Amino acid sequence: MRILIVEDEPDLLRSIAQALREEGYAVDTAPDGEDGLYKAENYDYDAIILDVMLPKMDGWEILKRLRKIKKTPVLMLTARDQSRDRVKGLDTGADDYVVKPFDLPELFARLRALIRRSANKTTNVIGIGDMKIDTAARHVFFKDNIVELTAREYALVEFLALHRGEVVTRTQLYEHLFDENESSLSNLLDVHVSNVRKKLGAQFITTRRGHGYCIE
Amino acid sequence: MIIFKSIKWRLQIWYGLILVVVLAGFGFTAYQMDRNRQFRQIDDQLHRRIGVLANALHRPPPRGPDGNGQPFDLPPPGQFPGDGPPLQGDRSLPEFHLLSEDAHFFDASDPHGFYYIINSYDKEIARSTNQPFRTGAGVNPLMLINKIPPQMPNSPKQAQVFSFDNYRETGEMLPSGEMIWVGCSIVPELKELNRTALNLVAVGGLILMVGLAGGRWLVSRAIKPIECISAAAVKISAGNLSQRINVTESESELGRLAAVLNSTFARLEAAFAQQQQFTSDAAHELRTPVSVMLTQTQTALNRERSASEYRETVEVCQRAAQRMRKLIESLLALVRFDAGREVLKRLRFDFSKTAGACAELVKPLAEERNVKIICELSPLEITGDSERLAQVITNLLVNAIQYNKPDGEVRVNLESQNGVAVLTVADTGQGIAAEDLPHVFGRFFRADQSRTGAGNAGLGLAISKAVVEAHGGTIEVASKENVGTTFTVHLPTGV
Repeated sequence: MRILIVEDEPDLLRSIAQALREEGYAVDTAPDGEDGLYKAENYDYDAIILDVMLPKMDGWEILKRLRKIKKTPVLMLTARDQSRDRVKGLDTGADDYVVKPFDLPELFARLRALIRRSANKTTNVIGIGDMKIDTAARHVFFKDNIVELTAREYALVEFLALHRGEVVTRTQLYEHLFDENESSLSNLLDVHVSNVRKKLGAQFITTRRGHGYCIE
Repeated sequence: MIIFKSIKWRLQIWYGLILVVVLAGFGFTAYQMDRNRQFRQIDDQLHRRIGVLANALHRPPPRGPDGNGQPFDLPPPGQFPGDGPPLQGDRSLPEFHLLSEDAHFFDASDPHGFYYIINSYDKEIARSTNQPFRTGAGVNPLMLINKIPPQMPNSPKQAQVFSFDNYRETGEMLPSGEMIWVGCSIVPELKELNRTALNLVAVGGLILMVGLAGGRWLVSRAIKPIECISAAAVKISAGNLSQRINVTESESELGRLAAVLNSTFARLEAAFAQQQQFTSDAAHELRTPVSVMLTQTQTALNRERSASEYRETVEVCQRAAQRMRKLIESLLALVRFDAGREVLKRLRFDFSKTAGACAELVKPLAEERNVKIICELSPLEITGDSERLAQVITNLLVNAIQYNKPDGEVRVNLESQNGVAVLTVADTGQGIAAEDLPHVFGRFFRADQSRTGAGNAGLGLAISKAVVEAHGGTIEVASKENVGTTFTVHLPTGV
């Protein structure tokens, strides 16, 4: 999962990004509105955490412009907790709203819910045959036994599971699993896919040559 | 009793009382006038009777033309049976003959009329049979008449007319010494008067009812705007500050009161809104550093970290805490200035030296941004709080440097104009948009939403304004976009 954080307070930006990376997300950051809008328009993020008060362009404006071209789930982050601000945020097209100061676990839970909803799933647990993926605990179970996966491996499984039945291209996978600072030209993806197959069975992920990967 | 505390009821009670007094006055007067009129008629009648009786006295008995005619000195039969033939016993007694044409004065129309004639020796000359007989409590007419001083010699002495029981009586002493006493019953008149009184009371009661009802309506009408005002005030005190009193008659006393109250409510609402905005802004400013501390510490505690990572976390938290401390100090200073509780030192000092020291202080920041500070400070002594004023200058200088363009300059000027210290801080920066200028000294105002830079909460200029105004001075701003901004501080130099 790849997340964009647009936040002008450097300390806050850094700590949220670090926490999300430790959760296994690929995280991009933008310190102001213009940069945030540019990134949001040019990459397919799984979710965007957007501060309202930003230099150069505020959160409302970014949201308005982004909504004209994309449906990326947006979680607004703001210090204003008055009802009219929340209403404005949700009406402008925000998918959720978190008021500062917030608890990180809550922020993460809301983020997971956003991603889940955008993939049309209603629960945290995705079942695939004998396999169960708990997106809240970030664990994969095979016949009720936990399967040890690295964060990146888990992210790969989760992304494919959320798009079950679809063919996910390598570009898509790169875009959603790696952040802007990692080279997408490496063969890191192949390494992760092969590792997952070793742990979950060779048939779990099928390769559509020339197209991408798929969980059927 | 709550009823006596209500203006409506008090007004009505007073109104009712006044109405009762006025009606009673009118009724009494009307009754008295009627009574006097009736008694005057009776009295005239009585006096005419005296005249008739006086004529009848000393008159020889008339003889009928044929000798067998009825003597005329007899009143109608059955009326005055005792009159009969005049008493002839005493020689000294004058004769008394009542002519029949005069007898109508004592006819059946007044069965209760009576007379009584005596001579000066208290000897009865004539009397009607129905003269009420009174002894003891009765009045001796002679005594009454003797008390009357003669108005003229040889003129009859007239007694006053007076009422006694149900009778009206009067008398007259003729110059010849005889005394005539006449009277009549006033029972019918008294009955009539009673009826009049009853009528008056009934009409008065009716008018009182109508008056009270009208008064109630009037009072309700007069009180209604007050009730509207009080209802609106209740809603406002319940927290609905946007409520206003509906002013229909702006020129009436209550209309003016409502207008005054409305403007008070408007000011109250504005003050509340401002307060709310201030609180919300303050909370907002505190939220970001708290968020930083929370996310930082929660992330750090998620797993074991290296010493350097912990150190970084602590540093971030410290920065956030410093920012909060600065903000809280600024807020408290503003609150103190607002409440007039900020105690300023009143010392004589050289303002130019303070300004120079401030320019020195911000020099590293200016050099970092490649901004040149040019000072033109003429020595000038003023009275005030040098620390607070230094804070103002530093704040203006930091702003001038931060919002300047690279290689720009900041000019600091201090001079005396008509005994007023004038300090200007001019920059060559991007300037402030004209629509933002009026808000520059507002709390939490930032021309750019950017609040990067801890502690830049948008309170600096608000505090500067408070400090300058507490010194009795003024602070103004002039700006041209892309040319620069100039802040001018006027301070009284003091004695």
